[in-house]
Amino acid sequence: MTFLQFDHVTRRFDNGQEGLSDVSLSIQQGSMVFLTGHSGAGKSTLLKLLIGLESPTSGRVIVDGFDLNKLKAKQMPWYRRQIGIVLQDHNLLPDRTVFENVALPLRLNPMSAKDAARRVRGALATVDLSDKGALLPRHLSTGEQQRVGIARAVVTRPRIILADEPTGNLDPFLSRQVMALFHQFRDLGTTVLVASHDIDLIKDQGCRILHLSQGSLVQDTGENPGAEAQ
Amino acid sequence: MTAEDRPNATGLAAKPEDGLLKAWVADHRRVASDTANFISQRILGSFLVWVMLGIALTLPGLLWIAQSNLQAFGSQWQGNAGLSVYMEVGASESQVRDLAAQLQQNNTVQRAVLTTPAAALEELLARSGDSEFLREALASIDVNPLPASFSVVLKDDASYLALDALSRQLLALPGVDDVVIQSAWIERLQDLTNLANAIGGGLSSILLAAAVLVTFAAVRLAIESKLAELRVLALVGATASQMRRPFLYFGAAYGVGGGIMSVLLIALFLNEIEAPLESLLISYQIDVSLAGFSPGFLLAVVVTGWLLGLMGALLALSQKLGDLTKEAS
Repeated sequence: MTFLQFDHVTRRFDNGQEGLSDVSLSIQQGSMVFLTGHSGAGKSTLLKLLIGLESPTSGRVIVDGFDLNKLKAKQMPWYRRQIGIVLQDHNLLPDRTVFENVALPLRLNPMSAKDAARRVRGALATVDLSDKGALLPRHLSTGEQQRVGIARAVVTRPRIILADEPTGNLDPFLSRQVMALFHQFRDLGTTVLVASHDIDLIKDQGCRILHLSQGSLVQDTGENPGAEAQ
Repeated sequence: MTAEDRPNATGLAAKPEDGLLKAWVADHRRVASDTANFISQRILGSFLVWVMLGIALTLPGLLWIAQSNLQAFGSQWQGNAGLSVYMEVGASESQVRDLAAQLQQNNTVQRAVLTTPAAALEELLARSGDSEFLREALASIDVNPLPASFSVVLKDDASYLALDALSRQLLALPGVDDVVIQSAWIERLQDLTNLANAIGGGLSSILLAAAVLVTFAAVRLAIESKLAELRVLALVGATASQMRRPFLYFGAAYGVGGGIMSVLLIALFLNEIEAPLESLLISYQIDVSLAGFSPGFLLAVVVTGWLLGLMGALLALSQKLGDLTKEAS
């Protein structure tokens, strides 16, 4: 079942440059797909269009049958609650503990404090940081900080995980750990879209790869369900 | 990882139907608690904001109290408003009787007291301490040089215009030499009060605008200090109202604190001036006690502070949060 769809999407910036040029693609629900390409290829623009931070100049971005252009402004926050976002620089709040950072998205949702705490503990256990909840982010290694970012992204049990260079600051071992986490979420039915320029890491994952260059989709390996996750 | 970690199956951009009110109340409680923490962690800075707001609110508050007391004073004086009517020396008894009758029939007159020339002379002598020189001087002339006079007191609701009209009417009567209105100085005082009100109104507006700007600056700093958190909240789906709420609480807390500070400053000021003011009023035989510092007034000052705080916060939010709330919505 098609979950994410780009239908002839072009995103042109104010300076005339095109972040994306006539990109069409579709991604199945519960699949894990990598976006790759050099800096400026259009990976981040594609993710921003999916998050709703930017709008296409032409074409349609369709998520689960909804054309994002037709979402009312007031619906956008509720849509974003269905997305888990993982960024390269983690965006953790330095004055909040690991537990509070992970709990941040939950305070927007109707949920008791007890349930929220249970969810946060579960998310921290998933990323193997159960014993670090009381620490501040600066007391963690870079890999641990990235895992806190992932815990924060998945604590709301999103339907989509969008990750922008999630392993950019990590060594190969930690990068594989992070990828293994994404595979676990994919296996639970979450659609995972990872933007990365680490070709070696991506090739090992056995997932579909979309290669962007200068805003255009130049290669699509297609689904490869038989590949083993690392 | 367990089955519980499976993604939510709700509609893509649908609000959850259950628990929204509960979540709203819980969010308000959390924001109130966060606001208390934020302010207590910056207690010195917050105290200075309260003092600045308190000072800005104090002058309008004091002007309001002064205005209401002057009005009370003016109305009390108007109750005793009156005039003195001096007959011509040698005016006939019938002329005096006619005037007395006219005064009794006049609707605006409460009472009119006649002082005969003889009584006036007695009073003059009494005031001079029974001066021998004055007694001899008066004995050397055959006629009493003092005229008959009426002391006229108007009713409580009589206006200055009625007093002025009566004065002109009496002056036109035969045998009346002069009419002296006893309220000319009060009219001047009222003119001065009106002028003071106009100036005070202008100053109050400036100070209240300053109070809004103080809150604006304080909330703007609070927004700056939380920009990173706001960016994350915008990304994870905070609504515009969820992002604004903490800062509206900051503005309200600054405003209410400023209002309470203002009440304290006004109380201190009134306490300082109460004794000398009473002494001054007693010397003028005016029995007016200081009014206006009532529970209603105290509440009005605090509520005004609260509203100004909210206005400052909204101003800061419209300036600083515009882009973020657009992202959020």
